[in-house]
Amino acid sequence: MTKSEIFSDGFWHNNAIFAQLLGMCPLLGVTTSAENGFWMGAATLLVLLGSNLVVSMVRGVIPKNVRIPAYITIIAAFVTVVGMAMNAWMHEMYMILGLFIPLIVVNCAILGRAEAFASKNSVVDSVVDALAVSAGFTFALVLLGGVRELFGQGELFGFSVFGENYPDMLMFILPPGAFIALGFILAGVNLINRQLKVRADHQKAEDLAAEVEAVEVIS
Amino acid sequence: MMGIDRDQVRMVIALFVVASVAATLLALTDIVTREPIAEAQRQALHRALAQVLPAHSNDPQNDVLEVDKDGSIVQVYPAKDKLGQLTGLAWEVVAPDGYAGSIRILTGFKPDGRLNAIRVTSHKETPGLGDWIVKDSDWLANFVARNLDDTDWRVKKDGGDFDQFTGATITPRAVVKAVKKSLEFFKERNQLILQRLTEQHALPASAAEKSTHGVKQ
Repeated sequence: MTKSEIFSDGFWHNNAIFAQLLGMCPLLGVTTSAENGFWMGAATLLVLLGSNLVVSMVRGVIPKNVRIPAYITIIAAFVTVVGMAMNAWMHEMYMILGLFIPLIVVNCAILGRAEAFASKNSVVDSVVDALAVSAGFTFALVLLGGVRELFGQGELFGFSVFGENYPDMLMFILPPGAFIALGFILAGVNLINRQLKVRADHQKAEDLAAEVEAVEVIS
Repeated sequence: MMGIDRDQVRMVIALFVVASVAATLLALTDIVTREPIAEAQRQALHRALAQVLPAHSNDPQNDVLEVDKDGSIVQVYPAKDKLGQLTGLAWEVVAPDGYAGSIRILTGFKPDGRLNAIRVTSHKETPGLGDWIVKDSDWLANFVARNLDDTDWRVKKDGGDFDQFTGATITPRAVVKAVKKSLEFFKERNQLILQRLTEQHALPASAAEKSTHGVKQ
C-alpha cells in the first residue's frame, strides 16, 4: 500500500467510527460539545502514535502468545503518560475529560491498529496509519460533538449560533441524543459512500467501454 | 521439551522487558508532572477562592488552617486584608447525595457568619440538567448574604427558599443541604477558628514587626 492509500483507508474507508464502529465509549461519552470531542481526539492521537510506533518497532521480537498483554501494557503506559501530562498542563480540560482518559486503554480502535497494522508493517507506515486513523477518529468526534452542541445548546465551539433565545434541546446533550445523532451521521456517511461507489462504477464502465471500442478499432 | 522451555523463557523475558520499560516511563513522567499538577490544582483552587472570598490581600492557601470535623480534617482558608484583619473564611463541603456521585462546593463566609458566595468545584451531574449549579449565576447569587437563621434551607418544592430546576430537584436539594451543613460548621467552630487564627497571626506578625524596626534603625 502506498502512503496515501494507507491514509485514505485509515481516515475514511476504514474509519474507526464510521466503518468499524469501534471506540464507541469515548465517542458517546465525551461528545457533548465539539471542543470536548476535539481534545479527546487529540489525546487518542498521542496514544495511538506512541503505541503504533513502539509496536511496529518491536514487531517480530515479541512472541506471538504474549503479544496482546504486551500491546495492552504499551498502550496503558502511553494513556497514563498522556493523562498525567494533560492533568499538569491542561488542567481544566482534564477536569472535564479526566474520567474518560483512562478508558482510552480499552478503546478497541487502538489495540486493533496495533494488532492489525503496526505489528505487520514498517515504522513509517505505522506512523502514517496512526495519524490517519486518529485524524478520522477526531473528525468523527468533532462532527458528533458539533451536532450535539449545535442542537442541544445552539452553540458551536462555545460560540452562540442560534442566539440567546434558543430553547435548548436537552435530548441531544443526554446519552440518547448521542445515539440518535450518530445514527443520522452514519446514514449520511453511507449515502456518501454509495454516491462514491456509483460514480466509481460509472467510471469503470466508461473505461471498459472505451477499451472495447479501442480494441474494435484496432481489429 | 527443551524447545517449549525456551519459548516460555522468551515470553517471560519479553513481558518483563515491556513491563519494566513501561514502569520506567511512568516513573519518569510522574517525576516531571508532579510539580506542575500540584501547581495546576493550586491555581484552580486559587481562582475558586478568589470568587467565594471577600476582597483580601493574603494568599489564603498559605494561611490554611486544619480544623477537625467529626474525625475528618477540614481545610479552612482565611482571607485577610493588609493589616492582617480577617475579612472572610472559606472551606469546601461535600454533598454526598448528588444525582451522580458527590458534589464538592467551596463555601465562602463573611466574618459575621453570612455567606459571601458559593462555587461548585467538582461534580458529575447530568450535563444540561443538573449542571446548572455551576452555570446559573442567578441561582448561585441566591445564596449571597444568607445565614443559618434567616433562611429556610430547603428547595421550594420541599417548602424552603431555594429554586429547584425543571426536571432536576435532587441536585439543588443536595447542594442546599451541604451549604446548610457548612453554615452549621461555621457556627460550631467559629470561636475555635478565630482563636487559632489569632495564634497564627501572633507569630509571623511579631517577626514582621522586628524586621521593620530593623529597617528603620
